[in-house]
This record gives sequence, structure tokens and C-alpha cells, in this order.
Amino acid sequence: MTDVVDKTRDEQFVIRHSLIDRLLHWVSAVSVLILLFTAFLPIAGFKFSWVTIHWVSGFVLIAVSLFHVVRSCFWQDLHSMYFGSSDVKEIGAALRWLLQRPDSELIKPGKYSPAQKLMHHSVSLIVLVTMITGILMMVKIDTPWWDRDLYWLTDQSWGIVYIFHGLAALFLLAVIMIHIYFAFRPEKLMYTRSMISGKLTRAELLDQHDPEKWRN
Amino acid sequence: MEVFRYSQNAWGQSALEGVSWDLLPVFIIAAATFVIVHALFMWLFAPRKQ
Repeated sequence: MTDVVDKTRDEQFVIRHSLIDRLLHWVSAVSVLILLFTAFLPIAGFKFSWVTIHWVSGFVLIAVSLFHVVRSCFWQDLHSMYFGSSDVKEIGAALRWLLQRPDSELIKPGKYSPAQKLMHHSVSLIVLVTMITGILMMVKIDTPWWDRDLYWLTDQSWGIVYIFHGLAALFLLAVIMIHIYFAFRPEKLMYTRSMISGKLTRAELLDQHDPEKWRN
Repeated sequence: MEVFRYSQNAWGQSALEGVSWDLLPVFIIAAATFVIVHALFMWLFAPRKQ
């Protein structure tokens, strides 16, 4: 997509994330952190009244995620997040380059690198499991909209729901730790900056990405 | 180390309660290990970009 570079030649930067996408990211980030803290701090021994904070944050995450899905389907190019054979080739090239094999050369990605796509898809899958099981578990607590029903499922079925919710939460904790680590790596700071300001410089774009493959 | 948690229901039967929280440090250590190994590899072995 040559437009990405051409239209910004004078401005010396490109817009990687629009304001609405940055807001979606940071609201999701805050709600995920609140969900993780309210889930695991009580287990670690910090006792406080966590249930209401947890489910309200869960509802915020569900609302933001639904908005993101609709926006991605109708206002953005889904191909930018598609993981296909070209991504496998890019990973292979990156591994050969990292292992310093002869004649190895990096293949520049489009808007998102294969690693960024895998991170997105991993978080999406994990969050989807936590959402579905979390919504089911809402049946067992009183909310402004309904009274709890402890016997909606059998003990065994609830146990399976809890297992999926707990396992997904544990995976989410690990993946978020890794995500935050990459956000602070020196060579990735430009992506963190772009998630704050929305912008990459034109030099960063040409250095790390292939404008021909870039889709918004 | 337990993988699942069980409790007794009202009829004294064993009921599945979810994953064992013994797994919490396992996941934290796994993620921290990935971070440390990646950081060391990038610091010591990864080629520098021209």
C-alpha cells in the first residue's frame, strides 16, 4: 500500500493506530489488568471484596471486545491480521537471520509482524474463553439485572466451567507478562509509542515494514 | 502438586472446583523463563541490524 508512505512524505510519520483503536487497546489493557489483579491477589493472600470489581471489569472488556470485532469487520481490513503462509515464510526468514545462517535476509511484514499476529490471536482466544465462561459464572452471583441461581448447572458442569475459566486466566497472565516484556524491549518501543501517539516515523516504517503489504 | 481442586458438595460427594492454584507459580515462572531466555539470547547472540 504505497499510499501509506506517499501521502505522509511531507509529514514524516504514518498513522499506525487511530485514536479509537488506541482507546480500545488501553481500556482493554486496564480492564484485563484489573481482572488479573482481582483474580489472583486474593489467591496470593490479599483479601478484599473483589467479585463486583471483577465482573464489572469483565463486562467492560466484553463491551470493548465486541466493539473491536464490529469495527475490525466493517471499518478495518481484516487481512492485516490474517496469519497465512507468508507469515510462516517471514518467521522462517527471521529464524535463519537470528541464527546467522549464510544468505539469510529478513522479510519485512505488512502492518503487523507474524509475532504480533500470533500475540493478538492468542490473547483473543484466551479472552474469548474467559468471557464465555465468565458470563456463565455470572449466573451464580447477584447483579442489578438478575438474582443468582446456584443450581443452573450440575456440580460437574460448573467444575468444567471453572477449569476453563481458571486455565484461561493462567494463560492470560503468562501471555500478558510476555506482551509487557516485548512492549519495553528497545527495538519494540516504537510500537509502544505508536500505541500512545498513534504514529510511526516514515523511517521506522520503511526500516521495519513493507509499505506494499501494509493494510489498515 | 495438584492439577484440579475438589470440594465436598451438600451430599458429601466430591465436586470439581476448578484448576489448582498450585499452577499459578508454574505459569508465572514459565513466562519469566521465556522472558529471561529471550532477553539473554537477544543480548548475547542475536545479530545487530545494519
